[in-house]
Amino acid sequence: MRLNLMINGSSAEVEILAPAPACRFTFAGRERSADVEIPEPGIYSVLLDGRSYDASVERSERALIVTVNGCRFEIEVRDPRRWSRPSGRAEGGGRETLSAPMPGKVVRILAVPGAVVSPGQGIMVVEAMKMQNEIKASRAGRVLAIHAQEGATVTAGEALATIE
Amino acid sequence: MFRKVLIANRGEIAVRVIRTLREMGITSVAVYSDADRASLHVRLADEAEHVGPSPSAESYLRIDRILDAARKHGAEAIHPGYGFLSENAEFAAACEDAGLVFIGPSAASIRALGSKTEARRHAIGAGTPVVPGTDGAVTLEGARAFGREHGYPIMLKAVAGGGGKGMRAIMREEELESALREAASEAERAFGDAAIYVEKLIEQPRHIEIQLLGDRHGNMVHLGERECSIQRRHQKLVEESPSPLVAAHPEMRHAMGEAAIRAAQAARYYNAGTVEFLVDRDRRFYFLEVNTRLQVEHPVTELVTGLDLVRLQVEIAAGARLPFSQEEVTWRGSAIECRIYSEDPYNDFLPFPGKITRLRRPMGPGIRLDACVYPGWTVPMEYDPLLAKLVVWSGRRDESIARMIRALGEYDVGGIRTNISFFRQILDAPEFRAGHLHTGFIDEFLAHHRPPSPPADLAAIAALTAALDHMARGAGQPQVAANGTSPWLSAGRQEVMR
Repeated sequence: MRLNLMINGSSAEVEILAPAPACRFTFAGRERSADVEIPEPGIYSVLLDGRSYDASVERSERALIVTVNGCRFEIEVRDPRRWSRPSGRAEGGGRETLSAPMPGKVVRILAVPGAVVSPGQGIMVVEAMKMQNEIKASRAGRVLAIHAQEGATVTAGEALATIE
Repeated sequence: MFRKVLIANRGEIAVRVIRTLREMGITSVAVYSDADRASLHVRLADEAEHVGPSPSAESYLRIDRILDAARKHGAEAIHPGYGFLSENAEFAAACEDAGLVFIGPSAASIRALGSKTEARRHAIGAGTPVVPGTDGAVTLEGARAFGREHGYPIMLKAVAGGGGKGMRAIMREEELESALREAASEAERAFGDAAIYVEKLIEQPRHIEIQLLGDRHGNMVHLGERECSIQRRHQKLVEESPSPLVAAHPEMRHAMGEAAIRAAQAARYYNAGTVEFLVDRDRRFYFLEVNTRLQVEHPVTELVTGLDLVRLQVEIAAGARLPFSQEEVTWRGSAIECRIYSEDPYNDFLPFPGKITRLRRPMGPGIRLDACVYPGWTVPMEYDPLLAKLVVWSGRRDESIARMIRALGEYDVGGIRTNISFFRQILDAPEFRAGHLHTGFIDEFLAHHRPPSPPADLAAIAALTAALDHMARGAGQPQVAANGTSPWLSAGRQEVMR
């Protein structure tokens, strides 16, 4: 199986020729063999050329966060067989969707649908762990919709407002 | 000695206190809010009592409910931990009125030293050097006048404050008006008191504090210093003892220790307390404030002195005399602490609570971990993001740094974000290793540091892992749903918020 990856913003390709545990794969044009064990969910123990690596995998909203021996990689996987539009909030028609940068609670809504807003203007305030974060418009426009209510609990990446 | 003690706190500090109580043979009573029923402090305590809904104003800050819980369980004393009611004189007085011992200083001492402006007056009276500042709360005009007289930069601070809330550094007069407004509203939210005072800002200062311990019979010793210069947004991140500066200039420990004791004794202080100093580039120290409670970073002092500060607090509260004199206090080796927060260093350090799916704790030589987390626990979004304090000890500072970097590498918390990896970069920085610390260290580090590009083999491993993980997860399922959100992400989110 061949996959296109974005690793820390650079594109790369990986192909899995044989699955774990006796894994064969190509990366950066080189075919390699690795012994792979999954000792616990989300943890990959990899032996490569006699060296031992421990990799952990976390999912963020846009990508996988893979940490290998303390080094962090943000990896977007693009599967050519099941391609879909890349994630992210770039949308057509000059719209912008503001999303929650962190899990939290909507404590205040500062703009109503239809309001004309300028860049940097606060749209709502999300609070978590005693820290308040003002969600700001990054461009001028009109508030098309507010997707969250005051008091609502939101998850990281959840759409909060649309501006056009 | 007490037979039963209630801990009016939660999180890692409640766990820390319960541990010592158990070692002392004292029954522990935990209190908890709705969000904390399954938290570790409740599970580890001998007894537990529900004190209200999740918001701390309706639970951990409710003096009446805490006292009711103490009475119901027959506790004889209350340990307040840090934060919440720990520096609330009204609470200390209410405990005394209810016939309970408050494990800390007297209500009068908290009043005298808990307010920064009052504490400053005591320090001046005791001959302890202070940073030039206004005598109490100011108006905008007062702040302007101070800035013109002493020159910029200046610092705004909350009169009732602590923990960086309501604090702002002002570089130019133009910034003053809006910053004062923001600081006052932040102080109002955090402490219910919008009063702000002004101080001259010492540039590139070190934050060095002295741990004090006094009994109710007038004896007081200092337990040396902790350097807490590594801060972000006025929140301490890394603390160590000894301070690298003091280690190079040992006479400073005695001078600062004596000054701290004088300031505290002026307020007839007893139990554990900390006097914070700023130290300028010429090694002059200035009184900053007194923390009338056990500090978050007390473990580094415990490791270099071999003392259990919570045990001593409890014994002193029960009326015991200090079991040693100043001359008998000795310091050995080097201890460093990192505060592990549930926040994302790769997303502007925003909080990131949620469910812990995986946990590997660092172990082995010289490691102490004061934590409140376990796999499967959901970190509540209502409280501080402090999850754990990772503390190491070794004979020398350079070995402690190596040990901490090793321990951080072993520490793996899955399901939420933490700042663990960020500490590895900080401790590895040449300026940190050299002990060239100041409170602007982190901001400078973030502005200039570029992480080294990882070895090629690590990228190959990461790519392989991502591919295998993708395949294991994706089998037969459409990866991305129509709304642009993949099904496993939605499932994960619902799980997180449960």
